[in-house]
Amino acid sequence: MAVTAQALSSSAPRRRHMSDASLVRLFIIPTLILLILWNVFPLFYSLYLSFTNYSAIANKAPEWVGFANYTAILSRPSFWNSFITTGVYAILSVSLQTVLGFGLALLLRQKFWGSGIITTMTLVPMMLSPVVVGMFWKLIYNPSYGIFNYLLNPLDPRAATDMLRFPNTAMLAVVIVDVWMWTPFVMLLCLSGLSAIPDYLYEAAAIDRASAWFQFRRITLPQVAPLLMIAILFRTIEALKSFDLMMGLTGGGPGNATETVSIQLYRLAFQGQFATGRASALAYIVLIIVISISNVYIRYLNRLRGE
Amino acid sequence: MTTTFEQTGPRTPVVESIRVDKLSPRSRLAGRARAIIATVLALISLIPVFWIIRTAFIPLNEVTAIPPKIIFTPSLEGLVGLLTDDRILSESALAAKRNDPNLSFVDRVMLNAGREVVGSSPYASQLVNSVVIAGASTILSVFFGLLSAYAFSRFNIPGAGDLLFFILSTRMLPPVVVTIPIFLMYRSLGLHDTHIGLILLYTVFNLSFSVWLLKGFIDEIPREYEEAALVDGYTRLQAFRKIVLPQALTGIAATTVFCLIFAWNEYAFALMLTSQNARTAPPAIPSILGSGGIEWNTIASGVLIFLIPVVIVTFALRKYLLRGVTFGAIRK
Amino acid sequence: MATIELIQVEKKFGANYAVKPMDLTIRDGEFLVLLGPSGCGKTTTLRMISGLESVTAGCIKLNGRDVTWIHPSQRDIAFVFQFFALYPHMTVRDNIAFPLQAQQVPRAEVNRRVDEVVKLLQIEHLLNSRPGALSSGDQQRVSLARALVRRPAAFLMDEPLGALDADYRETMRAEIKRLHIDQHATSVYVTHDQIEAMAMGDRIVVMSAAMVQQVGTPAEVYYDPANLFVARFIGSPGMNLIRGQYEQGQFIFPRGDRYTVPANWRPALDKALNGAGEVILGFRPESGKVEVQQTDNLIKAEVYASDMHGGFSMLHLDVGAPNVVHIRANRDTDFLMGERVHFGLDPAMVRFFHPQSELAIRREEN
Repeated sequence: MAVTAQALSSSAPRRRHMSDASLVRLFIIPTLILLILWNVFPLFYSLYLSFTNYSAIANKAPEWVGFANYTAILSRPSFWNSFITTGVYAILSVSLQTVLGFGLALLLRQKFWGSGIITTMTLVPMMLSPVVVGMFWKLIYNPSYGIFNYLLNPLDPRAATDMLRFPNTAMLAVVIVDVWMWTPFVMLLCLSGLSAIPDYLYEAAAIDRASAWFQFRRITLPQVAPLLMIAILFRTIEALKSFDLMMGLTGGGPGNATETVSIQLYRLAFQGQFATGRASALAYIVLIIVISISNVYIRYLNRLRGE
Repeated sequence: MTTTFEQTGPRTPVVESIRVDKLSPRSRLAGRARAIIATVLALISLIPVFWIIRTAFIPLNEVTAIPPKIIFTPSLEGLVGLLTDDRILSESALAAKRNDPNLSFVDRVMLNAGREVVGSSPYASQLVNSVVIAGASTILSVFFGLLSAYAFSRFNIPGAGDLLFFILSTRMLPPVVVTIPIFLMYRSLGLHDTHIGLILLYTVFNLSFSVWLLKGFIDEIPREYEEAALVDGYTRLQAFRKIVLPQALTGIAATTVFCLIFAWNEYAFALMLTSQNARTAPPAIPSILGSGGIEWNTIASGVLIFLIPVVIVTFALRKYLLRGVTFGAIRK
Repeated sequence: MATIELIQVEKKFGANYAVKPMDLTIRDGEFLVLLGPSGCGKTTTLRMISGLESVTAGCIKLNGRDVTWIHPSQRDIAFVFQFFALYPHMTVRDNIAFPLQAQQVPRAEVNRRVDEVVKLLQIEHLLNSRPGALSSGDQQRVSLARALVRRPAAFLMDEPLGALDADYRETMRAEIKRLHIDQHATSVYVTHDQIEAMAMGDRIVVMSAAMVQQVGTPAEVYYDPANLFVARFIGSPGMNLIRGQYEQGQFIFPRGDRYTVPANWRPALDKALNGAGEVILGFRPESGKVEVQQTDNLIKAEVYASDMHGGFSMLHLDVGAPNVVHIRANRDTDFLMGERVHFGLDPAMVRFFHPQSELAIRREEN
């Protein structure tokens, strides 16, 4: 068509557009710079400290002790205990969060009157500061004046269990609080994923006479799986590192029943002898464990995406 | 050519968009049941929050009443105590103070609790610090995270897998241990107790999360749309702005909410790296040791007020959080 | 193989009509096209036939059976979506097999039918790929295969070629038509592209603003549009429409030129306009012919622009009306801008419309 050919040739001089390569660099480099500056230094400095007997309060310079810290840690049963405690906590907490979060997302995906408000309401627990949450749940769990026991046994106050006093129930108590706080996180991610599934996939399935279960298994689940895995990945990492909540709620007690690795780290580094070097060693052991677990996850995640 | 027919179907005509199979009473009932269950669960999960609200408005001596008090005469003690500095008065001083004709409302409230107001607390400025620091770091981390996520998703970056893992690993170290090197670093860089210091730190922490999450969302957006735009003559940047951005809004909204919540509620670093100038609310609230021991009602008020901005932001973003990607509406 | 009847079918959203009450009968084996601009109600109509959208009132019958309130899966129809609706995480084979698996058809039978359909659409080589790795053309074939594998009574297609490149569209058009004929199917096809509709449809339902404007064969909607909308919408470019005065057998152009209407039009025009009045003259670009010799009954015009279209030229002429008139001319005609020309009209191809009601004036009106 002659008209269009004319229009093209008489256009204004073309702007120079950024090539793909320079765009890539522009997009990624700020992120990398920030991350390197703020993470490489602490990572390496901590690594260095882990090989010393440095103490933050002592006025001595760090002395090299080689692997002494690491062997000390790995040989003491109390450290292994805290690993197990952390592991139990993470597994219980994350699985409950996943099931409840996903279930809640499925309930909330269809709009109904007030669904926006209800969804925002379910997010509130997540918006609170973990330390304060720990403190208040301590109040709530109190057998005499806490509402947890009051609501469970309104008629017989003497049947109240002091959740935080006994080792088994203490772990359960902490898991409950953690699940309460972070289920919304999983729910929100699942909800975002669910709402991104185009309607026409379900319409096509409806026409093909697929049952609800069939549709769930073959359409919903695979589409949400990547986001669900990301949610699980991050929740697991956070659970393994969890500190604020635990500290506020139990402080690691009763005894060592809920002493996770983070709390041990805190005690090592900021209480008693302030053994900064040894704490750094413990932190690195934790880091290696978390990296290994994450690696497994990520490989599974990539397989799901077909990469 | 109109054949006569008998109108079947629901008695009130259906004037909304709905599939025929979703009209059945069973389907409608299931929908309603879902709504009810969701509402009940939401309310149950809010019981502790209601408890905190109650604690904020109860007089201090009734906080730990046995059995727990749900009905009580509300008092603004907690709220006022939060915003003011006060001290306990002896009985005689109390009686004397009560006769003072120039008492403000605030004074009166505190007098009823046996205390005298001596000034304002730093809570308001801590709140402002929180807003500035959390707000700035959220914007930065979402912005850079979005760009990086897009680049990782669309371009073939050498070593992408390793880079992504490195980005993730920055989040894996327990913060308790990272605080010491960061503390030393900040001290020497002069970043201790500055807003910038915390802003940068939170940005970095949130970046790893936002890159991963946003990449997850952008991966799900089909490339064909951008490729079509490129063929039509748009540049990459324009295609990114016009096509990817609108479809990634759900992901961006979710990421913003999470990053904001993390930065808003962060405790450990805020405690270690700030003192007077840049202190945010989270380290301050739990340690509100008033003149009478742990003032639960004051702490609860602090928590509540601190909760409000986040709730507002989340509520404002709810449309984007719950939006579905509208494939069908995009016509070329 | 199916007859589909829509009886007084309407769809309202709140108080607004998405589809005004319509009657339509789709014959067995017909390829019916629902054509119209965005928002005209064609997709809603298609979705009501499929059950993906419920009707507000009316009745839909499939082979005489009232299916208005029946589950989409029980209507024995297949639906081809514009954006393919392929499950991204399943292979092509699984995608095509999906409808059969959903109905628990035995594995051997599933494989047999999938192979059959795949051969028909020539996509055997794609069976193990994922939809994400395919071109849009191939994806659409897979989508068609999935529809075909069920051997339904009717095929409903919602702008299936909308997402394809222009050149691929032509190929797929022919393929779809061929499949329709081979399968002895009844098809209802939605599009906004009038060229596509004219090329593929046995009959076209032209819709606009929730209303059916005209139902007819491509020839009927092209040569005898029922109203101004159809006249403008069909044809590329649409029909030339000039508003002018009619009196005593002559059509008076805005600038005063007089054109004697063909004799067989006079009675209808006299009757419709009560002897004289405002009327709209319509004619298609190919019905006009620029004459070099000054003969009778020519219309004066000034050349506004001219394009080369390869096999012919398109002249854009100014006749004093607010809009430019388009006339086809030989490809070797070369007019300068501003040049004065004369053109005549093929008397068999002129049409007239009421200016107020926008309806066509029928020649047979006596």
